[in-house]
Amino acid sequence: MNRCCLKCWHKPPDNPCPNYVQCRIKGPLCHDDPECRELRARRLNELEFGRYGVKVRVAIASCTLAVGAAEVYEAIRDYVKESGLAIDISVVGCHGLDFIDPWIEVVRKGYPPAIYANVSPEEVEDIISRYLSGDVSKAFALRYRTGNAKGEFHVPTLDELVFWRKQVRLVSSNCGLINPESIEEYVVRGGYLGLARALRMRPEEVIEEIKLAKLRGRGGAGFPTWIKWKAVKDQVSDVKYVVANAEEGDPSAFSNRLLVESDPHILVEGMIIAGYAIGASKGYVFVGTEGDLAAERLKKAIEEAKKYGLLGENILGSGFAFDIEIVQDAGRYTSGEETALLEEIEGKRSTPRVRPPYPVTKGLWGKPTVINNVETLAHAAVILRDGWDRYATIGTEKSGGTKMVSVSGSIKRPGVYEVPIGTTIRTIIEDIAGGAPEGLKLKAVEVGGPAGGFLPVSEINIPLDYDTLPKLGVAMGSGVLVAVDEHKCMVDLARQFMAFFVSESCGKCVPCRVGTKTMLSILERISSGKGSEEDLELLKELGETLKDACLCALGNGAPIPVLSSIRYFKEEFSAHIREKRCPAGICPVSREVVRYEG
Amino acid sequence: MRGKVKVKVDGIEVEVDPGSVVLDAIKKAGIPMHSLCQAGELYRGASCRLCLVELPNGKLVPACAYPVSNGLEVYTRTPRTLRTRRTTLELLLAYHRIECWICKRKGDCILVKMANDLRLEGIPICAECPLHSDECLLNKGILCLGPLTVAGCEAECPATGGRCWGCRGPITREDVVVRALRRYRELGFTLKEVIETAEIFWSAHPFLEKFKLLAEGV
Repeated sequence: MNRCCLKCWHKPPDNPCPNYVQCRIKGPLCHDDPECRELRARRLNELEFGRYGVKVRVAIASCTLAVGAAEVYEAIRDYVKESGLAIDISVVGCHGLDFIDPWIEVVRKGYPPAIYANVSPEEVEDIISRYLSGDVSKAFALRYRTGNAKGEFHVPTLDELVFWRKQVRLVSSNCGLINPESIEEYVVRGGYLGLARALRMRPEEVIEEIKLAKLRGRGGAGFPTWIKWKAVKDQVSDVKYVVANAEEGDPSAFSNRLLVESDPHILVEGMIIAGYAIGASKGYVFVGTEGDLAAERLKKAIEEAKKYGLLGENILGSGFAFDIEIVQDAGRYTSGEETALLEEIEGKRSTPRVRPPYPVTKGLWGKPTVINNVETLAHAAVILRDGWDRYATIGTEKSGGTKMVSVSGSIKRPGVYEVPIGTTIRTIIEDIAGGAPEGLKLKAVEVGGPAGGFLPVSEINIPLDYDTLPKLGVAMGSGVLVAVDEHKCMVDLARQFMAFFVSESCGKCVPCRVGTKTMLSILERISSGKGSEEDLELLKELGETLKDACLCALGNGAPIPVLSSIRYFKEEFSAHIREKRCPAGICPVSREVVRYEG
Repeated sequence: MRGKVKVKVDGIEVEVDPGSVVLDAIKKAGIPMHSLCQAGELYRGASCRLCLVELPNGKLVPACAYPVSNGLEVYTRTPRTLRTRRTTLELLLAYHRIECWICKRKGDCILVKMANDLRLEGIPICAECPLHSDECLLNKGILCLGPLTVAGCEAECPATGGRCWGCRGPITREDVVVRALRRYRELGFTLKEVIETAEIFWSAHPFLEKFKLLAEGV
């Protein structure tokens, strides 16, 4: 990353060069020197295959750490130390294929890079020694084939696997491939090219680019990003802010965390672009408590970007200055709401504000503020890198690009997948994620997190986009898909979600504070077999009120799981009310019956 | 007029100062509006959600916080606003410790006014009884069914000196009934005579059974 010789014009951060990023990839541009050129080429090769030509990449992210990636990393380190092999060990982020965690990848020049799934510390020695002897038959998948290794043609490449082939990886293209703590690996893979391109354009042109790419906010509401940016740009104010919302309050949402953990620089790049487009000089990233690793890596990314003149004063010689600060606080469900997030950054209790005034006119500390989800900002970086024309061809007519979805629940292949907007939910659930595990049958899919709602399996043939889903009474939300199998009770799930909202409601407005509590007590009544037919009507009436009357989107979304499960699974509610029986045998109503009979 | 903003409230055009909120315009148009802001000491943060009004695009916004703009149209009494307002007030009352017979706001309670306006049941006659608590018929030793009976008649009988016979039907919220029954006992009435009086009007009421059960538990 540093200058190659004294002739190199670039001297970060005091003397930044507009061509710095291109220079790192196509190397050296400001002077022609065969020695420097060779130095760059050698460095690029080293990044790919390590100093000794063999490299082991260990995926370290929250998802892999949870299943023992730290032990695997230690086992590899010990093995390499003891055996004295010349192998580089590198930490990478995660692909999002959570069913293969913990995974490692072994690369060697001239051989196919092999990914090994569900690695245990004991297997490490066997995997590495076999790979070094040219045998990849035990691998889970290969990145590409070279034809040199034994058993190569018995192992699929990633592109042959349906869950990889059906994805379009734009923002997550670096996830699992680069070391999240190395700015160099990010730059070599085309990082900060988007920023370099944006800084050569005028801010209006950047916004125009975002508009033509049809980018809509990935946080859930799907508000066109360019309108938000333009509104803030048109505000006259000495100070403006960019805020990145990295707080995922939704249970079973983990795509943002994966993105920030695996590729923090893309967020940094997106924020600088947003700041340049709207004329802000300061950005904040809000990370909740579950984002410790993400915050740590992001901090490193910010430090490194500053070191090389990509952040701070006079970015890439353009005269534009931008700074990013991480705010980490106890995250809760309401913190994900944009105005509550602002309150929390200001150091207050995280309750939503009354709108208008909207944050675009009066946001953080009363100044115009753009608040975007981290994924939206990452998309902005991708758009500026690739150009809008390529980006807009992916996705639907009204909404371009891709969306990262977190798939979990009763499913064969849980994980984070990036799919074009407009992909049907059936494709994601059945093709990419593999459907229900053996012996189970899916009943419903929870779309868009707790405030999204349930869809029966018969209805999931619909495209995942911002316009179709609301017609069916669900929402895109944070891109959560949770598969529900037949052994789950919809009444119980509705009750659980309502209990979640009761504990997470901030208590500011009456309908949410009291309404959720009342709905919970009605649902508890139904699930314990004391419900009546009127209770269903009451739930619907309360739900409609909450949908209309609450102060913020989280309150408006609170009744949706209940309303959608009443809409699509009324027979289950009737079984609880009329027959006093829980078809799945989960609610206490049927447990009592079992005890009575036994 | 210069420096004024024209707003249409339920079709009535009014002019208000710029920077004011929709609620000011509604007041100026002379339309009665439900809102808790009238109880001055309460926190203002558009959080009671009672004054929601509908915009032409179908959005519901709080009148007490939504700023006026030229040409703004709002509707205060659409089916949707009335429904949400009614449910919200019901929710507010559901967690309100209804003990009107000893409440100092007696006869001057904004909740009662709104509840009557929106036809919500669950508030006892005592809330409307204009008598001061010292002169309460119960204190005088007269068995009045006010604490147990649904309000809405403006406490006609107690106001004219007679006791309440419960002709409007019983309150069915159990915690209120229990508190009322305790009050009767504190004042020296036996629950047996309370039930006997209540049976005059409520003998066919489905709540009577439950009422007797509650009385046993007190």
